[in-house]
Amino acid sequence: MKFSNKVTAAAVLVFISVFSISTFFSSHNKAADVRSSARLPRMSWSSLSDGSYFSSLSEYTAKKFSGRGDWIAAGALIKTEMCESVVNGVYISQERLLSAEIPSYGSFEENAALINNFAEKYDGAVYAAAIPTSAGVYGDILPSYLQQVTEKQQIDRFYDLLDTDIRRIDAYSILKTLSDNYIYYRSDSKWTSYGAYCVYRTVIQKLGFLPASYDKYTVHHITDNYKGDLYKRSQYMESNSDLLDIYEYSGGAEITGCTAYDNAGKCYEWELYDIDAAGSDDKYRLYLGEKMPFVKITANVNNEKRLLVIGDDFAACFIPFLTQHYSEIVFVSPECMELRLKDHIDIRDYEQTLFLFGIDSLSSKIKEF
Amino acid sequence: MLYSSLLFIYGFFPAALIIYYITPGKFKNIVLLLESMVFCGAFGLKYLGFVMIFITVNYAAARLIYSLNGRNSPMRRIPFAAAIIFDVLSLFFFRSDILNFLSLKMTENFYAVGISLYTLSAIGYLLDVYTGKIRADVNFIRFALFVMMFPRLIMGPVVSYDYFVRILKNRRITMNGLGNGVTLFIKGLSKKIIIADSLYMLYSAVKSIGADNIAAISAWLGIIAYILCLYFTLCGFSEMGLGIAACFGLKFPNSFNHPILSSRIRYFCSRWNIQIVQWFRRYVISPLFKLTDNKLAGRLGVVMLWTFIGFWYGFNFSGALWGILMSAAILLENKIQKLKMLKSTGIIYTFVVTTILAVLISNDSISDSVHYLFAMLGGTGMIVDRLTMYFLRSYVIVLIIAIYASTDLFGNMIARITRTRFRLAVSICAPVVMMALFMICTALISYSGRSEMILVRL
Repeated sequence: MKFSNKVTAAAVLVFISVFSISTFFSSHNKAADVRSSARLPRMSWSSLSDGSYFSSLSEYTAKKFSGRGDWIAAGALIKTEMCESVVNGVYISQERLLSAEIPSYGSFEENAALINNFAEKYDGAVYAAAIPTSAGVYGDILPSYLQQVTEKQQIDRFYDLLDTDIRRIDAYSILKTLSDNYIYYRSDSKWTSYGAYCVYRTVIQKLGFLPASYDKYTVHHITDNYKGDLYKRSQYMESNSDLLDIYEYSGGAEITGCTAYDNAGKCYEWELYDIDAAGSDDKYRLYLGEKMPFVKITANVNNEKRLLVIGDDFAACFIPFLTQHYSEIVFVSPECMELRLKDHIDIRDYEQTLFLFGIDSLSSKIKEF
Repeated sequence: MLYSSLLFIYGFFPAALIIYYITPGKFKNIVLLLESMVFCGAFGLKYLGFVMIFITVNYAAARLIYSLNGRNSPMRRIPFAAAIIFDVLSLFFFRSDILNFLSLKMTENFYAVGISLYTLSAIGYLLDVYTGKIRADVNFIRFALFVMMFPRLIMGPVVSYDYFVRILKNRRITMNGLGNGVTLFIKGLSKKIIIADSLYMLYSAVKSIGADNIAAISAWLGIIAYILCLYFTLCGFSEMGLGIAACFGLKFPNSFNHPILSSRIRYFCSRWNIQIVQWFRRYVISPLFKLTDNKLAGRLGVVMLWTFIGFWYGFNFSGALWGILMSAAILLENKIQKLKMLKSTGIIYTFVVTTILAVLISNDSISDSVHYLFAMLGGTGMIVDRLTMYFLRSYVIVLIIAIYASTDLFGNMIARITRTRFRLAVSICAPVVMMALFMICTALISYSGRSEMILVRL
């Protein structure tokens, strides 16, 4: 066996060396990540002291690992060949991929307090919409041990924590009754544009407008090759690709301006739909482009109404429907914000504020705004 | 930074190996110690600080005991007792719930990895010095390596100091040894990542249902997954450590010898974490009972041995009860050992007994264990449900692989091959299989970058 031992040693060490060196010199493989980028962790006394530096370095190594996407795909293939149906926290079924991770929902109290505090200081009307993920609407597909606490129960619990003067939007019931339609991507936890439209019909009535009927829209299929966050996590090759649509309102209000601001206050010309993103690794950027802390959209609607939307990725695909009803909409993404809201805008300029978050985003602490 | 992480496998390990290999022989221990310090430091500088204090206290105490030994002074008991108390308190401090209770700011996110193992090593060393079996080593670097050498840090093996020194002296760096080390490391890595992690998913899925709603077969699947997962995690880390040590030219003994499908409970016990059982026998039980040949005392010794081991594993009453019941099973088996029994019958009863007793260490309290045992007996009124079928469908392959890998059938088959042609075929296939396993492990941890699903923190 001496010969085979020597060959094993040589082969494995060469393999390790090749991948160590190529990882060290490789650029970050964004295609294999869930809309997040790998940054070399910053070394500090406290991070070295409590060991968090090396934990972050370990995560950084994983994200930068040479051929990461292919490795994850190979791992998914091995797991599915071994008949396992949960890969990297994603449940693989014939119809769709669903998140199999059970969030702790431990930050509900803090997040609800954040919204309540905002509402207390605000004169206008505040609306809250907690949107279920695909696992919440299609939970029947999951094995029962992953559905012991449903997203419906969690949304109700979150709404119970909000002050009574905040108007709640029951997106769950709307989406659940329409679950036979293409309202959620099959490879992503988020809703499709059609799912967003279905909820828009109710939301806009609560906001005091009549919804635009579906036949007024022209639906453009931008790409039929979208693979969402659940695919990126599992890299399950046999999962179905999704359609990314944009809804164009023929003869409706036109967008007169779209501007994004970064944390330094620098202003950029922006688009409601970034069509170029459809050809990139992060196709979901189609909706409102790259994540920015602050996006202002103006339209030629003659009502001088202004709306403030504070939300996450779910809101990015929802906002285009609202542009038919407001002369100005400001979308704030707390996830990207480093400054406070008051550094960007005066909230008194907006009569209505809509908080629109996926229930998964609400399960972790939202940055104060 | 555990052994089963990309950062270790593709970063720390090759870098440590290269530095070690290019270092001249007389400096190799210093380099190994520095590398071990970096490894410990990866768990936090607080942890590294603690380990260094631990080493210094034990080193100083042993030196003092040794110098007082020469003068036959009764004063030697003072440093001996002080160091033992310090070690035991350190162990209790990190393993028991005191930390959670105190909620010290300083100890947040801080666990002394491997404390259960190197505390035993240090206590054994102090006892050997105190009883005059060995001299207290003057060489601080060698003693520090004995405590914190990184291939031994996570899963040992716990060996006596003189044995450790012999291993250091017999260091041989060869290509064949490196191959042996790499092979052993990949075997351990595969056990942890391919088998133990999948079984952990099954166990945690069953556990999440709650004992009151679980079907009997699901409960059995859950506890079988638990014991196999525990074995493959401990054995996997142990083999990874041994493999790394072998790459550095150091040959340590194996801690596990295929205990799962033993044909007797006592065989199971003698093959499970061998060095730990030997340590408790050598340093705790033998000194207590060495003066008596009384059979009853012998039995009491067995009970005490396994109670200590059980408590050491769980650091709770359930762990101690598991030890008591294991020892009761051994004693009962000794009583009936004259009964003729087929080997397969022995394997089944040993597996059933050890699996049922594992319920005690898998649950946090005795009442949870009772509930779980009740479910295993069909007490919830369900024998099989949809979830059972889901678990069987999803995990049957990994369970079959786990049961086969827990035996020595494959090793024996390879060892029995005598024909040159077949041996050549095995020699050619072995590197291919090892590479394939290594690549599979890399693929399986590529998403998170590590495999940290661990049932017990030792």
